[in-house]
Amino acid sequence: MRDFVRIIIGLTIACVMSALIMGTVFMFTIKAKKHNQYMEFKEAMYGVLGYTHERPAPKSLKFHEVYRYILHEPNKNYMGYMIPTKDGKYCFVALTFDGKFLYKKKVNLSEEEARDDSVRDKALSKVLGPSIKFFYANKTIVATNNGKRVAYLLPRSFPGFKTTIKVLLALRPDYTIKGLEILEEEEDPGLGGEIKRKYFKNQFKGLTYDEVLKLKVIKKPLPEEYRKCLEEEEKFTKEEIEKIRAKYQDAHIYALTGATITSTCVTNGIKNIVKKFAYRIKVLDRIIKNYKINAAI
Amino acid sequence: MPKRYKSYSELILNGLFKENPIFRLALSMCPAVGISTTLMNGFLLGIAVLFVQVASSFTVSVLKNFIHPKIRIPTYTLVIATWVTVIDLTLSAFFPTAYKAMGIFIRLIVTFSIILMRLEVFAAREPVLPSVVDGFGMGLGFMFGMMTLGFIRELLGAGQLFGHQVLPVKPLLFFILPVAGFFCVGFMMAVFNYVEYLFKKAREKRIKG
Repeated sequence: MRDFVRIIIGLTIACVMSALIMGTVFMFTIKAKKHNQYMEFKEAMYGVLGYTHERPAPKSLKFHEVYRYILHEPNKNYMGYMIPTKDGKYCFVALTFDGKFLYKKKVNLSEEEARDDSVRDKALSKVLGPSIKFFYANKTIVATNNGKRVAYLLPRSFPGFKTTIKVLLALRPDYTIKGLEILEEEEDPGLGGEIKRKYFKNQFKGLTYDEVLKLKVIKKPLPEEYRKCLEEEEKFTKEEIEKIRAKYQDAHIYALTGATITSTCVTNGIKNIVKKFAYRIKVLDRIIKNYKINAAI
Repeated sequence: MPKRYKSYSELILNGLFKENPIFRLALSMCPAVGISTTLMNGFLLGIAVLFVQVASSFTVSVLKNFIHPKIRIPTYTLVIATWVTVIDLTLSAFFPTAYKAMGIFIRLIVTFSIILMRLEVFAAREPVLPSVVDGFGMGLGFMFGMMTLGFIRELLGAGQLFGHQVLPVKPLLFFILPVAGFFCVGFMMAVFNYVEYLFKKAREKRIKG
């Protein structure tokens, strides 16, 4: 019995001690960690738009986030968008799944604050009231230059061969693919992991909306000239790139050697993202226009 | 109890070659097979294990009189888990690029049998300084093993070293897959055994002659 008590006390003290150590380290590191994650994401955003350290983005380029939510009421489900407005706050618009307008509400939250998930969720639950349950679905980042839309940035995820693949897809306003970045993947290194390489992901660059919908994966070796053009774009002039692209780029993607399934997963994932997004943004634009939302996008 | 070591350098060499965690003790085979796909992965994980091993050896050696013998294994696990969390949080905050490459592997260190075994066999019975040196030697041995495997597998599987293409072709694609990890470990074990055999022979010769 005495042993029993001693063991309990000993284990409790050990747990409390380790919790204290871990808690202290957590307090010291959490800020830097969040900052890192955001910086990393921002770098990916600029990279996918084609800006690098040598070619920095113009100062007038701004990013506006649009958040999509799924809402549950006791006997109906619908979705809602948080749209940034011109006065720097947010407007919450609820729609049915087939695009009919339900209601709109003001959310008193600046764009900077809304980037924090927990802050945003709190503000939203205050606005919507306790009877409505809501779940965050995804976000779309609209890049504007002097008030004009330049690109849509879509951070999305879809199933790969082993686990989920997270990507950042950039579309031009006419839904042509501007760039693709793989944010997270856990495919086999050297096989499926090659989707991170330029020669695979740059194959998507420049595909138009119609081409994306027809996209197919073909099991043929990548032509050497095309690979060089995809890998080292900066060594070619614009005309040369266009010529090579016109020669090889059609509605197909060259599969990676030994990773056909991963290649197909990525291609289908991109196809789905573009298809859904083109439909949703049309609905959203119609709502913004018809119900006079002073949107910043 | 007889003293089990002569000098600190012997402790370190012991961890590196004589009792190399992967090739001689055959402990922590899971990470050795799963993670050593590239030289960089092997190196980074080796560094992390080195830190955790030294830190937990130190902690256990200091606290060895307070730990109740019946619950020593849970307590050791707790100590390891604490240090792993510390390095996980620190890396993710201050070395984001390294953390990106290692990702979930860091958290796996909690389950590495080599660390627990070293605490049980060495740190729980010896004074603080030798324990730390022993932990350092074992960590170095693990890093050496991981890097050797990573070197073989990355070179043969992808034709690269540290992510740079060194060979014009990918000689054996199969070496990237987990299965090939077993072959590599087996091969290296054979090499270690053969070297030991040679040493033994030389020693016998010296005694005879």
